[in-house]
Amino acid sequence: MMKVLCRIVFTLVGGLWVFWSSGTVEATSQPDKDVSAGAIIYERSCSVCHGISGKGDGPAAFYNSAYSASRARDFTVGNYKFRSTISGSLPLDQDLFRTITNGIPGYMPSFSGLSPDQRWQVVAYIKTFYAGFEEETPEQIHVEGSPIPSTAESVQRGKALFQAMDCHSCHGAQARGAGPVAVAGELTDSSGLLISPNDLTNPTGWKNGTTARDIVRTLVTGLDGTPMPSYESQLAGHEDDAWHLANYLLSLLGQH
Amino acid sequence: MKSNLRCHGSCVITIWALGVVLFITALPGWTPDAEAIPPFARKYQVNCNVCHVRWPRLNPFGEQFLENGYQMPGTHDGGMVEKIRLGDVTLDDISNYIGFLFDVEPVTNSALRRDVTGAEDQTELANVAILRMFTAGTLTEDVGFLMDMTTLFSQSSDVKLGRAFVSFNNIGGMNWGHVRIGRIDPSAYFSVATDRPQFFPLSPKIGPPFGPFGPSIQRWSQTFGSAAASKFYGIFDRNMAPIFPFAPTLYNSTVEAGIDLHGRPFGDWFLYQIGILNGAEERWGDTNNSKDWYVMTRFDYAQSDNFSANLSGFAYFGNHNTKVLGGADVSRSRYGVGARIRYRWLDLYGDYTIDRITDLPSGMSATFDDTATGVTVEAHAIVTDRLLLGVGYNHLDAGGVLSQRKSASFLSLQARYYLRSNIALQVRDEVNLRDAEGGTSPARNLRNQFITNVSIAF
Repeated sequence: MMKVLCRIVFTLVGGLWVFWSSGTVEATSQPDKDVSAGAIIYERSCSVCHGISGKGDGPAAFYNSAYSASRARDFTVGNYKFRSTISGSLPLDQDLFRTITNGIPGYMPSFSGLSPDQRWQVVAYIKTFYAGFEEETPEQIHVEGSPIPSTAESVQRGKALFQAMDCHSCHGAQARGAGPVAVAGELTDSSGLLISPNDLTNPTGWKNGTTARDIVRTLVTGLDGTPMPSYESQLAGHEDDAWHLANYLLSLLGQH
Repeated sequence: MKSNLRCHGSCVITIWALGVVLFITALPGWTPDAEAIPPFARKYQVNCNVCHVRWPRLNPFGEQFLENGYQMPGTHDGGMVEKIRLGDVTLDDISNYIGFLFDVEPVTNSALRRDVTGAEDQTELANVAILRMFTAGTLTEDVGFLMDMTTLFSQSSDVKLGRAFVSFNNIGGMNWGHVRIGRIDPSAYFSVATDRPQFFPLSPKIGPPFGPFGPSIQRWSQTFGSAAASKFYGIFDRNMAPIFPFAPTLYNSTVEAGIDLHGRPFGDWFLYQIGILNGAEERWGDTNNSKDWYVMTRFDYAQSDNFSANLSGFAYFGNHNTKVLGGADVSRSRYGVGARIRYRWLDLYGDYTIDRITDLPSGMSATFDDTATGVTVEAHAIVTDRLLLGVGYNHLDAGGVLSQRKSASFLSLQARYYLRSNIALQVRDEVNLRDAEGGTSPARNLRNQFITNVSIAF
């Protein structure tokens, strides 16, 4: 009797769980550019790290990486790592929104607890710290092609490209972030802080996303302010190579 | 009522085995993520230092996370981040709810005064081993919780319940009011929170001849600081168990049953806190029908240039919360100020408290000092990403039974090296600045104490 009751209870609870959990899709919204509302949210949620004046000098900024990269972003200099625009240019609003939503693994938590409207308001406010946002219209890069099936041949091709494009100098032959340049301590970010290349075998270290499209975007845009360059010119005309390389890197994470 | 859950024999072996397994899995190379180990770090996929100056000290971001009931500052993310919805309740991965702290002191050396009968210098191996399990997080939007249980293997192997509370947050608007109900640590939002020492908080160790105020207290336990200490010799809880003069009590208690309200209704610059506690040093039960209450205000300054400062003041009003020799009820109250300055690598903080006992039996006034004070000043420097150095000064101007009470002054030096942000190796030395004054009081008989410690959070 007890077994029957338990089965009924588990079935009901499980069914309800599936029903409710399937309905948690975040609504999309149009950008809300209310700067003053964004300022209030920024001061509550962001200023403790990024500073009240956006210089990345909030009272908690130093502790995350005291003597090495990466510290909180300085919004007043217009230098952004995570973009879908060409190297050296400003990010799109969508790029800033994506970073606020997803966070940066290891360094910045996700602020998806803010509503989409609130996140767009924060984007609008962050842009007021740098006048260049009013003068420049960032140009979005186009990630050519579409993901290639992750076959053994594709992964092998990507591995060869990893060597040919000199990725191993920083990331190491095993892609664990221990390349000879890194080991020599020669890598610094734009503020002069020692920076370590990502361990590409550790999914929590991927700061700009772990989908094939995220990886290709990172290869094409580079990470401004860090030693990670843009490979846009090298990949021009060889777009498939970017997808092969992405397949190889995903294989390091056990994703085929 | 006996408060502790007994745990002996196979239970202790099981907990030890669990600790060993968790220790091994916390070693470098055994976990996929080198930094994000404890539950909040796992949940938000960040390293410990996002919230900590260096674990366990909170940095300003961690303080705001704590104030908001374990939600990101300025958000109500308790109901959505990394969650599966089950109606109004949201569930999380179990590893995002549960964490463990494991502490062991490989070597401890206590140097006692030679002129105390029976006193000998002691070097002990694996003197203290502690396993603390805690579970914390959010149940749904603006509803948080925390519970921790500790086993101190070297003393009793009991499993002791520590804090256990539910919090209801952002009542009336963002940051207007947060309520905690249950077994709470009242000083959590004060400039110098009691339960965040650099070393794991340890109970005093007493050697033969046993006695609460005898000559053989070997661990002065300055980790809580003299300002947080009870300060009086010859006081007892409501079960007539002695309250040690250096035990953290009243507003600075590590845990008391009660209700607490705090918030920042006027912005980040001002925090208020008000609460009601049982105040009777009881783990369970509520014999102190009259209750204690307290109020605290904190003023925060600066949000830029890697600088922040705050100034706090509190008043704690005791109400028949203590007993003295003979069993009479007295009221023990405390008033204090604290301040903290952080600038890049420097963390400087301190507090000063005055304790008063009222309602003393008239016959005791000639033999009992009803006022005591304590001061704690500490500074820590982040020397490298992995190394923290600290220096601290504690002075206790003790009160209580005049024939027993002795004031104490200790200087402490410590270094803490982080193998990873969740694994720390520590050394600490405590020097009694007044041992030359002689005498058999516990404030005098300990000349120097050297402690090594390994702490792991996972």
